[in-house]
Amino acid sequence: MCSRWSWVACAFYLVLNICSPDASSGLVQSCGHIIPESPVLALGSNFTALCILNESCLDFGNIYASQIIWKIKNKLVPKEQYREINRTVSSVTFNDTSSLATPLTCNILADGQIEQNIYGITVTVGLAPEKPKNLSCIVHQMSRLTYVMTCTWNPGRHTFLDTQFRLRYSWPEEIFPDCIPRDVNNSCTVTDIQFFVNTEIWVEATNALGKAESDPLVVDPIDIVKPLSPQNVSVSSGILPTVLQLSWENWISDAVMTLKFNIRYRIVGDTNWMEVPSEDTASPRTSFSVQGLRPYTEYVFSIRCMKEDGVGYWSDWSEEKTGITTEDQPSKGPPIWRIIDATHSPTSWTVHLIWKALKPFEANGVILQYEVTVRDKLSPSSPVRKYNVTGTNHTLQLPEGTYEVTLIARNSVGASPPSVLLIPASNSKAPVKNLRTLPKHDKLWVGWTAPNSYVLKYVIEWCLVSSSSDCIIEWQIALGDVQGVDLKGIKPFKCYLITVYPLYADGQGSGQSVKAYLKQDRPSKGPTVQTKKVGKAEAVLTWNHLTVEEQNGFIRNYTILYKTIDGNETVVTVDPSKTEYTLSSLTSDTLYTVRMMASTDNGSRTGPDFTFTTQKFGKGEIEAIVVPVCLAFLLIVLLGVLFCFNKRDLIKKHIWPIVPDPSKSNIAQWSPQVPAKHNFNSKDQMYPEGSFTDVSVVEIEADDKKSFSEQDLKPFDLLKKEKSTSEGHSSGIGGSSCMSSPRQSVSDSDEGETTQNTSSTVQYSTVVLNGYRDQTPLQVFSRSESTQPLLDSEERSEDHSGGADSTTQRQQYFRQNGGQDETNTDRPCFERTKQITHDNEGDLVGFVQLQISGQSSQPLGLGMEKNIQEAALSSVIQTCTEGQTERPETVEENPLSVDEMPKSYLPQTVRQGGYMPQ
Amino acid sequence: MAAADSPSAALRRDLCSRGIRLAGKMRADVVDLLDAYVEQQGLDASASVAAVEGVPLAAVERWDEQTGTQRLLENLAAYRAFRALLAQMLEEQREQLGEAEAGLGRALAALLLQVSAFAYHLEELLRLENRGIPGEEEEEEDGPPPPPRLSLFEQKLRGLGVLRELAQWAVRSVRDLRQLAKPSPATAAAPGLAESP
Repeated sequence: MCSRWSWVACAFYLVLNICSPDASSGLVQSCGHIIPESPVLALGSNFTALCILNESCLDFGNIYASQIIWKIKNKLVPKEQYREINRTVSSVTFNDTSSLATPLTCNILADGQIEQNIYGITVTVGLAPEKPKNLSCIVHQMSRLTYVMTCTWNPGRHTFLDTQFRLRYSWPEEIFPDCIPRDVNNSCTVTDIQFFVNTEIWVEATNALGKAESDPLVVDPIDIVKPLSPQNVSVSSGILPTVLQLSWENWISDAVMTLKFNIRYRIVGDTNWMEVPSEDTASPRTSFSVQGLRPYTEYVFSIRCMKEDGVGYWSDWSEEKTGITTEDQPSKGPPIWRIIDATHSPTSWTVHLIWKALKPFEANGVILQYEVTVRDKLSPSSPVRKYNVTGTNHTLQLPEGTYEVTLIARNSVGASPPSVLLIPASNSKAPVKNLRTLPKHDKLWVGWTAPNSYVLKYVIEWCLVSSSSDCIIEWQIALGDVQGVDLKGIKPFKCYLITVYPLYADGQGSGQSVKAYLKQDRPSKGPTVQTKKVGKAEAVLTWNHLTVEEQNGFIRNYTILYKTIDGNETVVTVDPSKTEYTLSSLTSDTLYTVRMMASTDNGSRTGPDFTFTTQKFGKGEIEAIVVPVCLAFLLIVLLGVLFCFNKRDLIKKHIWPIVPDPSKSNIAQWSPQVPAKHNFNSKDQMYPEGSFTDVSVVEIEADDKKSFSEQDLKPFDLLKKEKSTSEGHSSGIGGSSCMSSPRQSVSDSDEGETTQNTSSTVQYSTVVLNGYRDQTPLQVFSRSESTQPLLDSEERSEDHSGGADSTTQRQQYFRQNGGQDETNTDRPCFERTKQITHDNEGDLVGFVQLQISGQSSQPLGLGMEKNIQEAALSSVIQTCTEGQTERPETVEENPLSVDEMPKSYLPQTVRQGGYMPQ
Repeated sequence: MAAADSPSAALRRDLCSRGIRLAGKMRADVVDLLDAYVEQQGLDASASVAAVEGVPLAAVERWDEQTGTQRLLENLAAYRAFRALLAQMLEEQREQLGEAEAGLGRALAALLLQVSAFAYHLEELLRLENRGIPGEEEEEEDGPPPPPRLSLFEQKLRGLGVLRELAQWAVRSVRDLRQLAKPSPATAAAPGLAESP
């Protein structure tokens, strides 16, 4: 308990000690302190610090040195580095100061728990300055009388400390103020410089850890002067066109130093400087004449100076000044060449004389004009032609011949030496040999082997080959002793056509040409391939050559690459001269993809893909199949035709059943023989006018059925048979007879009736004669829709005749051949019919009458069953030239007559042209 | 010839050469300074100034008969005197014009340095001549007492006289050093001539 209170008292005391004001030691009185106080330590050295506790703290706080702990920036220092010197002093030792950091604190650990800071120091670690090295000085002339000296040195390693450098200089008997650098540590500028006295210069570096001095530099400042460059440089033309006079001012007096100079100059636009020999300008001067210049050339000059003995520094180059030399006469004649156009007439030339403007160093001035002289070599007596030209070409019309052209360039000073060009009548001399090219950087070298004869000079023509424009010729002349020239201005990836002509003293050799590229590239596009012809196992590919602009080089070969969809690619190399290639051994009916690649020396480019499908059959295969098939078919057809021809009767019988000619029938033959018996009126009697000349009328008395002999009934059997065979062709028969189709007949006759299918309907034109004996028989034309074979009906009627014999009816058969018009002509027909009826009252003449009871749609058998009156077969064959038209008036005129015919089939209308039973 | 190539001979030649050029520059600077001084002090450039007390005259009779050492000693004495006078002028200048005429002051200071440097050259040459260098203090003790306090105008005139005499001495020093820089026969003959009188 006591101990506890003592610790409380201790802590309270510490707080009081730390916080209570003290008049002597400031605001805070510490319980101890560290020595050394804020030391500056050399990096890498060892260091020992002592923490000394105040005695007063020992008394009140029970604090001892054994309780001291050391910390570096809140990091505990290992206790192995501590040493308790006595009860109030503890030391800590660091073998290497590089492990130190700020702050280093001394702390007390009261009762092993409460840590209290006693004191702390700032530790500065650094290096002593190194000896400055490489001290050098230069004196800059700032103005005519002002010089400053700037010295630089290597300050050495970084010291991590505040290090002061100062430049010191002195005379043996004079020490000058130090030069202290500002913001830098490696240079300083001295403004107070005196020449002609050796001055000792050195650098001092000082920091908390030491001082170092550089090796002294002993120098007379006059020997390290960099003077100002000459001022006010001017250039003036001299008397000669190759001389320019330079003058300038020096900014340094001879009393200080004498100077030597450098003069450099260059042509305006050129980058290379030339220098006047230094020995020519090694003495003090303020002017100089530069000689050996080109006439009429603008030069740029610049001058610099330094101490005459060469000790010191060159000044900067002066500002550049330009001057131009005066003109001189042209030094050489212009190179001349010609282009001869003889396309209009071989005997008359259009000669384009072309020449190159002289280069500035050749023209030596402004060329005012060119003088062209043309002399006919073959006829010296002919007059010399002279032309003054301001341009660089001239066109002449000359007859074919040999000419000598002389060209002179003239400027304000004089004329150039003449250039002579011989234009021979023909280029019959030997050409150059082995013409070749070789790219050399941005130039294209053209070389050749000289002919055996002496060549004056060579003309090298070249032009850019283009597919879209003409070849614009450029040319140059080479001397006769060279065998190669460099062509400039050649563009890469472009094709050039180069031609070399040798010029002899007495003529000209023919030109030799070669194509060349300065640099090749791969083609800019690939060939577009397509098929010209595709077969079963082969395909003919075709393509166009790439244009010269697209080639970018010499096409060395074409490569065809083709493959099926899932097959391997096949590669074929093709000669570049070809534009067609046949792929063989292809698979039939297969899709192929083909593309084409053009290759130069520098790469390849592939064109677009093209697909094609090989054919399924080869050439001739289809023909081999089709032709035999066709032949076989033709043979079969022929055989069929022959067969049909042979069996034509049989076929005819089936297709065109024999329509019995009533006039030739047995009945017809027979009927005139019984006119009296059957009260039959001959047609001649009825129609004396001959309208119904072919109508046969048979009047049959039902009662007299038996009176007919078997022979007489045969024609009915025949008709029956024919009816059965021609049932499906009834319309044709009707149409052929009366130009009326069955359908038309039906539609015209079905007023108020059910439309019947007439294709299978045997239409009967019926003249119903029914009435009482004492009444006027009503004549009605009726068409039956019945399909019942007539002869069957007849047979039926015959069968039932026994039951219906109470009514005796006369049945009349007739054939009508008269043509009747639909509107007009039927009337006569009808009227004639009526007339017939009226004329033969009670008898029907000219109509085959069939009386059928019941509905026409019903089976004829049923109808026949109901037919209690009589059944008669009427055959009416009408021949109308303009068609047939039913006459409904007939019904309307005699409605009662119809109604008065019970149990009898009575169509409302009977049309002419209806199917006529046979 | 061997002596001419010895280090001392080379050093002597170098000192002579450098001294000649320093004297030449000093002469040029003094001429420039004279114009500035006359203008700044409001003096007449053509004003006649009596000989400055304490400054040996540059003009001397039988100059070509002097020995090298004699030339050096006379030069050294003169330039030491100039150094003291120029220092006094610089002090007076600062008192009179303050910092306003810093240019003139800098020129005077530069001239003073050149005079000092030239005196150093002379001392070095005398050392090479194996002659004792007269001490300044001794000279001052033996020399005339300091000049009495002068009026401002008198100070200006004296300054003008000092500069003019310094210009004269610069010319003479160039000639003296050229004479000294000549090959040994001349130097050898000089003592003979000096001794002959």
